[in-house]
Amino acid sequence: MKAMKRKYLVGLLIVLLGLALVGCLNESAAKDSNALAAMSLVERAELLIPTPNVRVVIGSTSTGGDTYQVSNMVAQKLGEVLGKNVKVDAVGASNGFDAINRIDDGSTIMIFHDMAYLGYLYEREGYTDIFSSYQVGPTLAINPGNSFSAPKNSAFSTIEDVIEAVGNGEVVKIAIQPGGVSEIGYSAAKNAIKMQYPGMEENLVAVHTGSQSDKNQLLFDGQVDVIHSSIQANEQFAQLPMDDQKAMKFIWLTARQETILQTNDSGFGSMNIGDMLAYVSPQVSVPMNEEEDFTFDKEFFMLFHKEMDEELVKLYNDAAAEVFADEVLVQQLKDAFFIPNYKDISDAQTYLTEKVAAYDAIISSLKE
Amino acid sequence: MDFMQIVSPAFFILLVTGVLGGIVFGAIPGMTATMAVAVFLPVTYAFEIKEALALLIGLYVGGISGGLVPAILLNIPGTPSSITTTFDGYPMAQRGEGATALRIGVTASLFGGLVSFLILALFAPLLADVAIQFSYVEKFLLILFALTVIAALSKGSMLVGLTSGTLGILISLVGTYSISVGGNGKLRLVPSILAPILKNGFSLLPVLIGLFAIATMIREVETGMKNPSFDDVDLTKKARFDWRLWKEQIGNLIRSSFIGTFVGMLPGVGGSAASILSYSQAKNYSKKKDAMGTGEPTGLIASEAANNGLTGGALIPLLSLGIPGDSTTAVLIGAFTLQGVQVGPLFIGNHPETWKGILTALFFANLVMFVVMFFSIRGLAKIVRVPKYILYPIIVVMCVIGAYATNYGVMFDIWTLLVFGIIGYVGVKFGLEVPPFIIGFILGKSAETYFVKSLESYGTFAIFFTKSPIVVVLWGLILLSVVLSIRNSRRLRVKTKRR
Repeated sequence: MKAMKRKYLVGLLIVLLGLALVGCLNESAAKDSNALAAMSLVERAELLIPTPNVRVVIGSTSTGGDTYQVSNMVAQKLGEVLGKNVKVDAVGASNGFDAINRIDDGSTIMIFHDMAYLGYLYEREGYTDIFSSYQVGPTLAINPGNSFSAPKNSAFSTIEDVIEAVGNGEVVKIAIQPGGVSEIGYSAAKNAIKMQYPGMEENLVAVHTGSQSDKNQLLFDGQVDVIHSSIQANEQFAQLPMDDQKAMKFIWLTARQETILQTNDSGFGSMNIGDMLAYVSPQVSVPMNEEEDFTFDKEFFMLFHKEMDEELVKLYNDAAAEVFADEVLVQQLKDAFFIPNYKDISDAQTYLTEKVAAYDAIISSLKE
Repeated sequence: MDFMQIVSPAFFILLVTGVLGGIVFGAIPGMTATMAVAVFLPVTYAFEIKEALALLIGLYVGGISGGLVPAILLNIPGTPSSITTTFDGYPMAQRGEGATALRIGVTASLFGGLVSFLILALFAPLLADVAIQFSYVEKFLLILFALTVIAALSKGSMLVGLTSGTLGILISLVGTYSISVGGNGKLRLVPSILAPILKNGFSLLPVLIGLFAIATMIREVETGMKNPSFDDVDLTKKARFDWRLWKEQIGNLIRSSFIGTFVGMLPGVGGSAASILSYSQAKNYSKKKDAMGTGEPTGLIASEAANNGLTGGALIPLLSLGIPGDSTTAVLIGAFTLQGVQVGPLFIGNHPETWKGILTALFFANLVMFVVMFFSIRGLAKIVRVPKYILYPIIVVMCVIGAYATNYGVMFDIWTLLVFGIIGYVGVKFGLEVPPFIIGFILGKSAETYFVKSLESYGTFAIFFTKSPIVVVLWGLILLSVVLSIRNSRRLRVKTKRR
């Protein structure tokens, strides 16, 4: 009787193992590129991502900033497209990089902006070359509001006035947050001074500070002449009367002209597109080299684990394309003053490589 | 008519839900009002702006208030701003006056919340202009003023208290001098071998709940988890509302509410500084200085009135300048951006309906918080009757979840919790004073940033004495606070010798 039981058990085990083997074979067949191509995004996500949740870590700890705002909009749509519960976590750059370095199964991805590579170019702790440390994913959107501002009663009307003043020996202080988006504008202005007034660039002094409120406070205190700002955060200050201690004016928008032309017709707050164009190249010129002006679009893009499976990368690439095919999301982004800018992985990598090379040249020239 | 348009049933339901959710978050060690608002923020995308803000403001007020429950009953601050609530709240609970302490705390919270509401409603834009007179220099001196509480809190030797506080400051500086505050992004106070682990330093919440919750539980385990006052005393028998107490405490209540609102409206100073500053002032002005820290309602009232006073205060720079006053309003700003509403100096004029909605939400959130908490005190107070062998495992699990959630899932925070639990347990045996240590830890980073940035901006030490009349007033307050602390300490020593 016991021997019979054992036989049945062994037989059952063989059947189970056989079924498991068939299952594995089916899975590997299913993971075959051709088979995957025939599947819907939801089916592919179900097969490739092992968890029902996808975590989008972002390089900022703020839930009130532009990174969170863009990521949240994209994540909600991405969740629908992949049939997954996609959640944004504002963990900051260091924890974000750690998270995508740790997890390669597609359940954690990162959305960040240009600081991801600028931190490396400025040799900041924790930042590495994004092209060798991670897989750079599709670009998603641009924040066109990156700007510089001065007190409303300042003698500087545009950044060109600042360059001229510094070139003529005046010391001008600019409040920036080091190692990122705000420093590249400062470096570009310094580089332009070096080109036009060699040796005078040291008169443009960076005052390192933190958040936008700290930069504003330095301006209110009269401790700096210019601050890094954004249209979104500072536009209301530009509407205040001249005698208000808090009144400011924009003197430079770093976005490209074609980027500004894509913003909402209504512009932002009291600024229409025409007002914005008055502060961008070529109306306001900060030469980057002999041929072209410096421009900077603050770009949001995806980053993945360096070894993440090729099929997973393809899945996110296709999913992002699907996300940006949705006109509602595109309009939502535009309403929130972002420029939808989806580029697939291949185009994104070329585009970002060129961007990195241009800014690297500026930073390197200032080290000479 | 206006009012009825604002208070729709959905508005009120979301407000009540927010307050209840916030109280739960605040009452769980390691969960804070900031976390509550962050968790619910994505949900608000689906609502109208006024309804979204009703939910979030409810969570904010509930979250700040809920922190007093574990602080009083278990000696575990539910939120960082309720640290000073433990100093007198917990000794009261140990004496069997847990329900009384809760009633005092909840009432002080309501008063602080309503004072800050009134100040916000009447003076927001005006006070925003006052707030911008506080530059790095004034903020550094304000933090220094708050740090003087370390001297006041030292129970034994003042030297030991100061050493503990200094140690707290040093440990808060471990890690990278973050570029997000304008630092150089370089590591300090970290041996290179530990750099990968300690690059981000220690987060406040795991340190806080480690030192208070885990260390307390280890000590309880050591003594067999038996505490007669918890097990044998009827906690509700003395829990009547004592009007005489409030008559005596009206000055403290008003002063603490104003301190909370004032500190709240200064961006970057931090919510915990409000209750710390308020507690130290209550001690300086109290007639029963020696009793503070042993279960004196004065300290409890100061702490709770200030941390709820903070709520309206922190909304002042947010709604008048677009600059959040504390970490919770920094998350709250996300609700505006997600809804496409621009906050800045013109917000109140451009969005009068939303402004009225916010005021209505803040007023009712405080009332709902009071009603909910006041009438559940009898139930809440019974927590201490739960056998500790059941209660403690639950608290440990909540602490671990809270620590893990601090930075959205970083394992190092759980190790921090454990390590500081052990430090809290062992350190006390070697004379470490936990309150000065944690206050040093909380205020250390801001003190450093404002000190360094003041020097970088102005280039001279003299600026700390000459910047503005505010600086002179702050130095006066700092000196007064130090002198009073030294005098009290000497008086106490003489008294002890006589005994």
